[in-house]
Parts: sequence; structure tokens; C-alpha cells
Amino acid sequence: MENDSSKKTILIVEDDEFLRSLTAKRLEKENYHIEVAVDGENAISVIETIHPNLILLDLLLPGKDGFEVLKKIRGTDATKAIPVIIFSNLGQKEDIEKAKALGVDDFLIKANFTLDDVVGKIKKLI
Amino acid sequence: MEIPRHIHLTELGRRTVNPMVFWGVITIVLSVVLFLIISASGIQSEVYLLFLVPVIAYLITMGFFVGYVTKLNRERNLLLADQIREEATKGAEFKKLNQDLETYAKQLFDKDFELTLANKRLQNLEQAKSKFVSVTTHQLRTPLSAIKWTFHMLLKGDLGPTTKDQHTFIEKGYESTQRMIAIINDLLNVDYMEADRSDYNFLPIDLPALIESVLFEFANQAESKTIKLKCIKPPTASPKVSADPIKLSMVIENLIDNAMKYTPKGGQVTVSIGDARMNSVGSSLEVIVSDTGIGIPPHERDKIFHRFFRGSNATKVQTDGTGLGLFISRDIVEKHGGAIWFESEEGQGAQFHFTIPVNRNNLSN
Repeated sequence: MENDSSKKTILIVEDDEFLRSLTAKRLEKENYHIEVAVDGENAISVIETIHPNLILLDLLLPGKDGFEVLKKIRGTDATKAIPVIIFSNLGQKEDIEKAKALGVDDFLIKANFTLDDVVGKIKKLI
Repeated sequence: MEIPRHIHLTELGRRTVNPMVFWGVITIVLSVVLFLIISASGIQSEVYLLFLVPVIAYLITMGFFVGYVTKLNRERNLLLADQIREEATKGAEFKKLNQDLETYAKQLFDKDFELTLANKRLQNLEQAKSKFVSVTTHQLRTPLSAIKWTFHMLLKGDLGPTTKDQHTFIEKGYESTQRMIAIINDLLNVDYMEADRSDYNFLPIDLPALIESVLFEFANQAESKTIKLKCIKPPTASPKVSADPIKLSMVIENLIDNAMKYTPKGGQVTVSIGDARMNSVGSSLEVIVSDTGIGIPPHERDKIFHRFFRGSNATKVQTDGTGLGLFISRDIVEKHGGAIWFESEEGQGAQFHFTIPVNRNNLSN
């Protein structure tokens, strides 16, 4: 993906290939620059190198899960101000509360939203 | 208590030779012996009497005294024997009770152990069930998200143009997916509710703000169904209510979702927030969700909050209900200490009301 410096960069952290490509396709239509990460470790290294404008973070990921990634983002000075939206199919009260305690900006359950709704949520944050 | 083993009860109460009789015999024998000795030795009888009378008097007095002391002693021994016998009986009873107590304690311990084990097994089962439900629903929701998003992108033309017929079929596919997601969400909520894990997290909540954020989620749906979605707030700021925001959002979502489902295109759904009102248990805020939909048939009014109940006229409109929304909503409102009810005339829409108590520590806000 070409990097246009005028575009805002969104990092999609998602292990499901199809969901990842659909999300990327929809967000590219909104003129965002899209980066992807397929697991927690991958996400952390991408975040440290590119400092995205917003992170769309899945919770159930191979290896390090989304909570650990979120903890790492909020615990690092250079990345702690980046808006993070949890985008997962987990959505029990405990998960939502845990994410809120770790400083998430929004928590969306994938099945309950369309990608248009997600675009709306992103536009509220950046 | 143990009875001292060295006391022999039979000895204590035993009847012996009366010491007074014994002493009397001794006195007489001694007097006779003394008389015989003296008369044989040739001492004058006056001198003999001078010695004999005080000696006999002394012996008799002593006899009485010893007899009296012995009698007292025996009475005391008899009394003591009674007491000891009584205490021995009590002791035996006590010992029996003690043994019974030990038996019961052991039984209780065994029962407690059994119950602890059973409880542990139930907890494990409960955890396994919850894990199963949450994993299953999660696994179901992920492919459903993919189907839903694909249909939605196709409908929006994000993936290129479709013919009118294709569009209609894709729309049906999208609606079916929505229905399935709603069922999974409802089942998950019922599991959540019945497992009683819902330890409510009551916070001071700005109710109008919470309602607006829920309404925001419905904006797209209202637009695509050309339903006018309105919110009427009181002119002055409402006091904060005491509520669990996630649970309360679920109630508002369910009521708005129902109103939208049963209202035909071009209709209107209004959410109004009333002023704080005092009732017998304190101050509450009332929320009314009204629609211009198909209404509720009079004969089904009692069943409306029942689990899995759906109005007989529900099939007149395309709906994706499971009949769990109001059942869950009532449970949540009641756990908040509020009430939920409705007014409706068939064909004239419905107004669902619910109340949520005002946060007592925050009345001034």
C-alpha cells in the first residue's frame, strides 16, 4: 500500500483474513491509509515503527491478545495518546470493563455493527 | 466429666455397728473389770466409788459424743453418696450426649464435605457452561460478521453495481443475518441473566446522554427504514439516575429496536424523558418509548413480558425478534428498582414506559 503523507493511517489488527480485507477495503474508500497486523507481536512492532493515527484492535489474537497490546500501547509514552477502538466479537461485561480500565476509546462488537457504523465511530475520534 | 474411680459408693452408705452401743458395752466391761480388780486388791469401797464414778461419767459422755459425731458423719456420707450417684447419672448422660454430639459433628462434617464437593462440581459446570456459551457465540458471531459486512457492502454498492433483483435477494440475506445475530445476542443475554453473574455496577448516570448515545446507533437503521426517530428531553437538566450503564443501554436498545421493528416505513418512534417524580420509594425518572406501529392485541397484554413471547400480529411485519427482549428488559429494570409497563391499542402503536430511581447521593446534579 502506498504511503501518502496527507492521509491518516489506521492500523487494523485482525487475525481473520477475510474480515481484515473487508475492513481494509471499506476504510480505504474513506481515503485512509491502511496498515495491517495479524497478531499481537506483529501489532506492537508495527505501532512502534509507524505510529498510526488510530488502531482498530481485535481481542482474540494468536500469541499476545488485544488486552496485552492495549496495555503496551498505553504504557509507552510515544504511543499512549493514539486512539484505540476495540473491534471484537467478545463483548461480555467483563471484557468491556477490562478494556475501559486499560484506557480504550471505544468498544465495538463486530456482529452488531456494519463497516459504515465503524467509519462513523472512527470519524468521531480522528 | 469423669467420676473418680477410687470412691466405692457401697462403702459410703454401709450400715456398721452403732458406735454408741459399742461404747456402752466397752464402758460396762471396763467398769466390771475395774470393780473386780479393785475388790480383789482390798481398796475401800468409798475410794473405789471416788474413782469409778468420774471414770464412768467420762466414758458415757465420750460415748455420746463419739456416737453423735459418727451419726453426723454417716448422714454426711449418705448425702454425699446421693450426690455422687446423681452426678454419676448426670455424668453418664453427659457422656452419652457427648458421644451423640461427636456422631452428629462427624455426620455434619461429612455432609459439609459432600456439599462442598457438590458445590464445587456445580461451579465447574457453571463455568464450563458460560465458557461454552461465550466461545460458541463468539465463534458464531465471527463468520456472521463476515456475511453481514459483505451483504452490507454489496447493498451499499461498495463492491460494484447489482441488479434490482440481486439487490432484493441480498437485502433478504442481510436481514436473515441480522436476525441470527439478534438471536445469538439475546441467548447470550439470557445466559448472562440466568447465571446471575450480573453483579450490577451502579453508577450515577446521565440518562438523557445515555439515551442519545443509543439513539445514535439506530440513526442508520431509522434512515434506511424512513422512520422518524425523535428524542424529547425535559427543559431542565435531569438528575442523575443510579444505573448500570451497559444493562440500562440494553433496555433502551430493546425498546427502540422493538418500536422500529413493529413500525412500518414512514412511521415515527419517539423517546421522551420525563421530569423526576416522587413515588413511595423515592424519586425516579420515567422514559417513554412510543411508536406508530401495529400495537399489541388486547388479549395478549398479559404475555408480553413472557420469555419467547411474540405478538400474534408480529408476522404482519418483517421482524427478527426472538421474544426475549422484553423478558430481559423487565428483569434489568426490576433489578434497578424500577418498573416497566405499556399502553397500547391495536393498530394505534404502543407506548412503553419504564422508571429508573434517581441516584440518592447525587440529587443536586
